[in-house]
Amino acid sequence: MIERLNPSSKDISIAVKDLDFSYGSSPVLKNIQLDIPENGVTSFIGPSGCGKSTLLRCINRMNDEIPSARITRGDIEIGGVNIYDSSVDVVKLRRDVGMVFQKSNPFPRSIYENVAYGLRLRGERDKAVLDQSVEQALHSAALWDEVKDRLQESALGLSGGQQQRLCIARAIAVKPRVVLMDEPCSALDPIATAKVEELIWDLKHAYTFVIVTHNMQQASRVSDKTAFFYMGEVIEFSDTSRMFSNPRFRKTEEYITGRFG
Amino acid sequence: MSPEENPSDLAPHRFQKRGFSYERAIKYFFASNAGLTIVILALIIIFLLKEGLGFFPGYQRELQVYRIAGLEFVDISRKNLTAHEQLTSVLNRAYYAEINGRCIKQMRRSQEASALFNAYTDQTGPTRDLVLNNSQAASSPNSEMLKNLKANYEQQKAKALASLTATPHLTQMERRDLIESVRSRAVNDTDDPLFVTTLAEEFTAAQHKQAEPLQALRSTIDSFSSAGSELSSLVSEMTESVIATKEKIQGADILEKDRKTLLAAASGAKDPVEREKLMTEARTSLADKPDVEGPIQLLLEHRPDCIKAHTALRDASTRIIGQLPSSLTQLEAARLLKAARHSWPFFIADLEKTPAAINAWKPDAPVPLTDSISSFLTGKDWVTGGEWQDFYGILPLAAGSLMISIVALVLAIPTGIGAAVYVNQFASPWEQSVVKPIIEFIQAIPSVVLGFIGILVFGTVLRDISLWDSLQWIPGFPLEERLNIFTAGCLLALMSIPTIFSLAEDAINNVPSAYAEASEALGASQVQTTFRVVIPAAFSGILAAVLLGFGRVIGETMVVLLVAGNRIKIPDFTAGLGTFFQPCHTLTGIIAQELGEVPMGSVHYRALFVVGILLFAVVLTINATAHRFVNKMKH
Repeated sequence: MIERLNPSSKDISIAVKDLDFSYGSSPVLKNIQLDIPENGVTSFIGPSGCGKSTLLRCINRMNDEIPSARITRGDIEIGGVNIYDSSVDVVKLRRDVGMVFQKSNPFPRSIYENVAYGLRLRGERDKAVLDQSVEQALHSAALWDEVKDRLQESALGLSGGQQQRLCIARAIAVKPRVVLMDEPCSALDPIATAKVEELIWDLKHAYTFVIVTHNMQQASRVSDKTAFFYMGEVIEFSDTSRMFSNPRFRKTEEYITGRFG
Repeated sequence: MSPEENPSDLAPHRFQKRGFSYERAIKYFFASNAGLTIVILALIIIFLLKEGLGFFPGYQRELQVYRIAGLEFVDISRKNLTAHEQLTSVLNRAYYAEINGRCIKQMRRSQEASALFNAYTDQTGPTRDLVLNNSQAASSPNSEMLKNLKANYEQQKAKALASLTATPHLTQMERRDLIESVRSRAVNDTDDPLFVTTLAEEFTAAQHKQAEPLQALRSTIDSFSSAGSELSSLVSEMTESVIATKEKIQGADILEKDRKTLLAAASGAKDPVEREKLMTEARTSLADKPDVEGPIQLLLEHRPDCIKAHTALRDASTRIIGQLPSSLTQLEAARLLKAARHSWPFFIADLEKTPAAINAWKPDAPVPLTDSISSFLTGKDWVTGGEWQDFYGILPLAAGSLMISIVALVLAIPTGIGAAVYVNQFASPWEQSVVKPIIEFIQAIPSVVLGFIGILVFGTVLRDISLWDSLQWIPGFPLEERLNIFTAGCLLALMSIPTIFSLAEDAINNVPSAYAEASEALGASQVQTTFRVVIPAAFSGILAAVLLGFGRVIGETMVVLLVAGNRIKIPDFTAGLGTFFQPCHTLTGIIAQELGEVPMGSVHYRALFVVGILLFAVVLTINATAHRFVNKMKH
């Protein structure tokens, strides 16, 4: 069993190789090829139903739970390890690949317990270690100053933006190496969105971020690389600055200029 | 269809012209239904309160009569007499348990042999009697009918011989001989087989032999038993006289009530002749004030005798406790002796306090209304229909209901919630589709059928199991009563499992899937997610499920009426866990059992209504609390 994905290498790049994916008999992803570099932000953009979220959920195998969903061809490697290999423990994979969902979903318990949850799962009982990790994670998520006096209060009492940052804190408290974000700001107001984006900017030197977004400005603001999805295929994948200034394909241009979507 | 094509659509409907429309009619229909429900509910509550609240003044009068007539005075002494009888009985049981325990082998052998023989005769008896009766009546012994009957008897005999009861304490040889002697019995042989009588004699002989070293204990018990005779005869003498006084007062009460009815009728009568007639009738029926003073004075003259008898009994008891052995060799006997020794000091203390109570007693002390309320709520006796005195104390019934609920919930909570967690979180879709309907199907069993099964199958099986030697370490085994708190609790658990299961499963199902998803994305396994996220999030809903299960259990009537054993007595908690194997009666059961038989409007009738009100209040409180939890979960 592989303890961490590949502890010897610092390489946490994600390589998607010739991936086909389908729900039952209907194909969702066709022949996906992506090399997501480490320590940076990669955005997935594209119209609804084009397979961005599906690919994102393939990276930490969240699709395993869906009965009819399966990969029909190809594989995904993180740091050179095929994560669909039978020797990979999915529970351990998810400790390395954290995820933040579209709708903020803190547990109905205290702020402290939300952040400590992942650590407790790992069997951490030392109060001092927990306290320190919680504080650190909340600092990283730029939430510490707002909640430090009410750590024992219910997380459900926080505002929407605070809840989403709490979910980010919860995801990074266990020190993953990859953080997947599925439209993390779609339910937030512009101020809260700006805070989350700032946060991603601050953290990207330490993590590999993959973000699904419908917001072109957001993609251009936060990401280093962008992949444009259309009808289950990656049409274009390049540096963000280049894609937004000089797209190679007409479909890409039409989408980012808002002619369809 | 557009308005141009059919302009009449725009015209008001003919109902609307009269300020009435279909929509309004439908609205009023449902509003009136809802209104009717509320009115009926209100009427039920008013009826309950009207019938029930009359209980307290009525009971107050009964308690007053109880005091005036001197019954209370006699009960002061009787209480100690009853305690004395109970202690005597416990000691006697200890004595026989000791003897039988010492010759347990002979006892078992004798019991098994006669059980085998009795089961055989029970099965073959009817056919045998037919043969015997007809062989006397028939003129020719070879008639066709007699032949048939004999064949039938032989057949029955073969069947009985094939299914004989087990005899673990007899040797193979003895069993074979016994069966042989049973098989070869003549049709008209009425004696028991020799082996059975021999074993019975052996057992009796063993008992006699074992009784010899226990002679000292025997005479101690006998002397304790006879120490109560003086008090006993005094009490029975006083009983007769106070009963007579009570009947006199009650008779006067009834006459007085009739007179009031006549007077009321008279004042309502319009015809002056009629009125005069009623008035005369009322005047003539004016009861003589019953003579209470005389009999009470006679009763009070017994005071010194009573006190003397108590002192004598106390002295005897203090002496006898010193003569009892400190322990006995047999487990059951030692337990009984210990129980007797334990209650002995309380018995003596009561005896010491009694003379003061006798002296302080006054026949004319007032009985306030609060006394009737407090003796209802905290009374330890529910005694009805006796010639002595009726008591309406709710504690034995409440204790029974509570004990049964405890058993039911202890069994149903883990099972119901466990099943809900499994079905919702771990079961495959196929398992879900099988398990859920099966558990919910239990609800479809009518409770009377369940009670029926409880008596015939569960109660009997449980008692048979309780006879197993390997289970004798369980307190309360072997069971004395087939129908008890535990059997009723088990069946009620079965009935409340579907309630708890369905509601708990709903609660778990209502936990947003985002919680589970977030937990899994953090690397939690399925079990971790279930126990750390899903169940805590569903907790208040699960609590509501438990409470509603409790409401179902405490309100259930049929099963407890059939299976709880219906003994109106506060369970004897000194038996420890064995308490759960005692029979009891319940709040619901008492209403179902007694309401049909009491005279309408009597105090007893009203007492049952108050029990009903109490139940209503309890169940209402439970349900309201449960709904608060459910609402809490929604927000």
